[in-house]
Amino acid sequence: MLFFIAKRVGLMIVTMLIVSLLLFVLLELQPGSVATKVLGPYSSEEQRTLWLEANGYLEPLWTRYLSWLGGMLTGDFGESVRFKAPVADILWPRLWNTAILAFWTFAILVPLSLTLGVLAGMREGSALDRAISITSIITTSVPEFASAVFLSAIFVFALGILPGTSGMTDGFDPLQLVLPVMVLILYDVGYVTRMTRASMAEVMTTPYIRTAVLKGLPFGRVVFRHALRNALIAPFTVIMLQVNWLLSGVIVVEFFFAYKGFGGLLLEASLNQDIFLIEACTMVAVFVAVTTQTLADIGYTYLNPRIRLA
Amino acid sequence: MTKEDKTTHPHIPELVNQLKKGEIDRRQFVQSAAVLGVSATAAYAMVGAMPRDAHAQDSPKFGGNLRVSMNVKEVSDPAIFDWGEKGNVARHVIEPLVQIDKNNVAQPHLAESWNVSEDLKTWTFNLRKGVKWSNGDEFGSDDVIANFERWLDPATGSSNQGRFSAMTETVDTGEKDENGKAKMSTKMASGALERVDAHTVRFHLNRPELSLPESMADYPALIAHRSFEGGDWSKNAIGTGAFSLDRFGVGEIAVLKKRADAHWNGDVYLDQITYVDNGDDPAAEIAAFASGQVDTNYQTSVEQIPTMRSLPNIEVMQAVTAQTGVARMKVTEAPFDNVKVRQAIQACLDRSRILEVVYSGLGAAGYDDHVAPVHPEHAELAPLKQDYAKAKRLLAEAGHANGLKIRIDCVANPTWEQNTCKAIAEMLKPAGIDLEINIMPGGTYWDRWLSTPFGFTSWTHRALGVQVLNLAYRSGVAWNETSYSNPEFDRLLDKAGGLADVTERRKVMAEIQGVLRDDAVIAQTFWRSVFVSRSTRVKNIYAQVAFEHHFNKAWLA
Repeated sequence: MLFFIAKRVGLMIVTMLIVSLLLFVLLELQPGSVATKVLGPYSSEEQRTLWLEANGYLEPLWTRYLSWLGGMLTGDFGESVRFKAPVADILWPRLWNTAILAFWTFAILVPLSLTLGVLAGMREGSALDRAISITSIITTSVPEFASAVFLSAIFVFALGILPGTSGMTDGFDPLQLVLPVMVLILYDVGYVTRMTRASMAEVMTTPYIRTAVLKGLPFGRVVFRHALRNALIAPFTVIMLQVNWLLSGVIVVEFFFAYKGFGGLLLEASLNQDIFLIEACTMVAVFVAVTTQTLADIGYTYLNPRIRLA
Repeated sequence: MTKEDKTTHPHIPELVNQLKKGEIDRRQFVQSAAVLGVSATAAYAMVGAMPRDAHAQDSPKFGGNLRVSMNVKEVSDPAIFDWGEKGNVARHVIEPLVQIDKNNVAQPHLAESWNVSEDLKTWTFNLRKGVKWSNGDEFGSDDVIANFERWLDPATGSSNQGRFSAMTETVDTGEKDENGKAKMSTKMASGALERVDAHTVRFHLNRPELSLPESMADYPALIAHRSFEGGDWSKNAIGTGAFSLDRFGVGEIAVLKKRADAHWNGDVYLDQITYVDNGDDPAAEIAAFASGQVDTNYQTSVEQIPTMRSLPNIEVMQAVTAQTGVARMKVTEAPFDNVKVRQAIQACLDRSRILEVVYSGLGAAGYDDHVAPVHPEHAELAPLKQDYAKAKRLLAEAGHANGLKIRIDCVANPTWEQNTCKAIAEMLKPAGIDLEINIMPGGTYWDRWLSTPFGFTSWTHRALGVQVLNLAYRSGVAWNETSYSNPEFDRLLDKAGGLADVTERRKVMAEIQGVLRDDAVIAQTFWRSVFVSRSTRVKNIYAQVAFEHHFNKAWLA
């Protein structure tokens, strides 16, 4: 098991190194354009050369890459062009805001979709199953930008009971979280429900469940004591992957509701070619992606005795 | 009037005469008189009309927080501000010498009054006495001088160098560039700025210049404390204004709190102004209005107007302006280095149609001369007509008989800009010009607006026609995005800038507008009105021609 974990972590580090190299090469291969972006269009050739020299851009590519990587590892991400402040000062608060959004999304999404999935999957083909499945397919096929408009039209414009934007300008306001969380859940709940349902339905057809039913155990006991443990293995991986999805999924939601989170930051950084910020955001996103992947792999191995390693 | 007569410009009686004869209208009279140092109140008194303030009868209420939806951009150095939003955050903390009011008239602000010599080369500005900086210092000549010195220092990189070019000289640095040419440097001319006393400064210009007061009202000309030498202004914002910068986060929020001590201009009603950044999604801003999270905004786009008007208690205000967008061609880059190519593009356009399609007709057609009908000196030239036969002939002469493929850069938002490009592209097709539109985010475009061969640039309103021509088309100035350089144009512009008489100036403007039009460096298809939304509880604010926020007298019902 330890060897397996070490192997997964090693793989994770290699992935991140490859991505960081690609990112670096793509964004910083032409040092001249970096200086123009940082100093602005009014800078003179002389100022740009001085800046490039002072910031080590005239060094060979690999030296620059290693020092950039070193900076990244120690939390020094450089300075944002647009904010005129260290990237770290901007990135962490924004990431924290997205974490709040993600926390509430998952706090509702996970119990809700698991319950619905289990209810639908325990009696495949029943009226309840059909109702849940059809609703799931409908909500999942409506993209976030459409459901955001739709929900705003109802709760902001027609009913006037929820705030239209979520900038949290007067400090944290739970009401402002409602719409963004609702949009995210609406989009994702169907998918996780369907995955849980499939897994549950599959377990329900296995011989050991049939045996349990035939020997006369109450249905509730069959579901809770016997089926659930095995049925939840697949949804676990799916849910871990939703963390990953959320990081990109929040871009649309944060932009629409003017929520000051990581997704909005990444979008603005790209639109404004704020390269140090793009690099930092991308590395954070990659880190989250490979970490959740690794955790999912380890967890899955642990939960599923059939592939548990000696 | 006798006291006034001593200090007024000798041209004032002539102006009054012209007004009587109907050669100029009242608005133009007040504008011109204000430029020559007559206070707007006095000028309005001469013509017997004061603009009525719709809310003057209501008695203002104290207190409250005015919430404004606007992009919050970095404000590290006021001298290099390049966008109106930056000016709005800073303007309530540091103030300009002169302010352009809602009627497009230059009003005294930190400068109490000014007068000018008959040749328009010597301007004396009397600064307001008893104005205190937030650190306790007294405002005076030293502050003004320190700012001008910074602005005109080439190392600062301020666009004020172009704005106040009549105060600069270009000298040989003694160094050579790679091609062996002498490196030139532009700086403040010696003796250009004189300190008369602690509250009087005198400007000695090297050519007559009419728009000096208006230039002082532009957003990079806010007066910072004399101790400011660069660095991050937002970290230590000392100001003369009624508000202080309390909290600031780029892309998020700017909070301005009313200063405890009295403002030189009397009562200030609001306790707080909060700028909220709702990002670039127009839907987010509308939602913020709908749920009462904001009270007013920076600008309402034409597309937003119908929705805004449908919201209860929201009102859309309009300002007729000299705001425009130009599809500008860089004359140093092929194929735009050939004037025939540029003229061919010009000949393809039906301007009124573009205005109708793109901007619902809310403005006036433009004819490639960048002088607006609202400018006092605007000369009415024959409108340019769509003429495909001419366009094809010019293209053939330029060696593009088999068609031409070009590309224009433009910003994604506001959408009227890319829509104008699309309309232009459609109108170019019949002449065999294939125009590809390269839509990019604002940040990207503003990185290359000065260097791209073909780009669509929006220009803000300026009070006088000569002002924008000085900034954008005079040879070698910082914002000359077309690299246009025509000595004849520069000469005429100098001449126009020296004429106080609007009628005389208009004659020269006719020539200038003709030259710019014939050289066809821009396809400028329309002038647009601008719009600002407000909740009906906000009183005494208006849509200002350059989106400037003047909230010192605003109040909340």
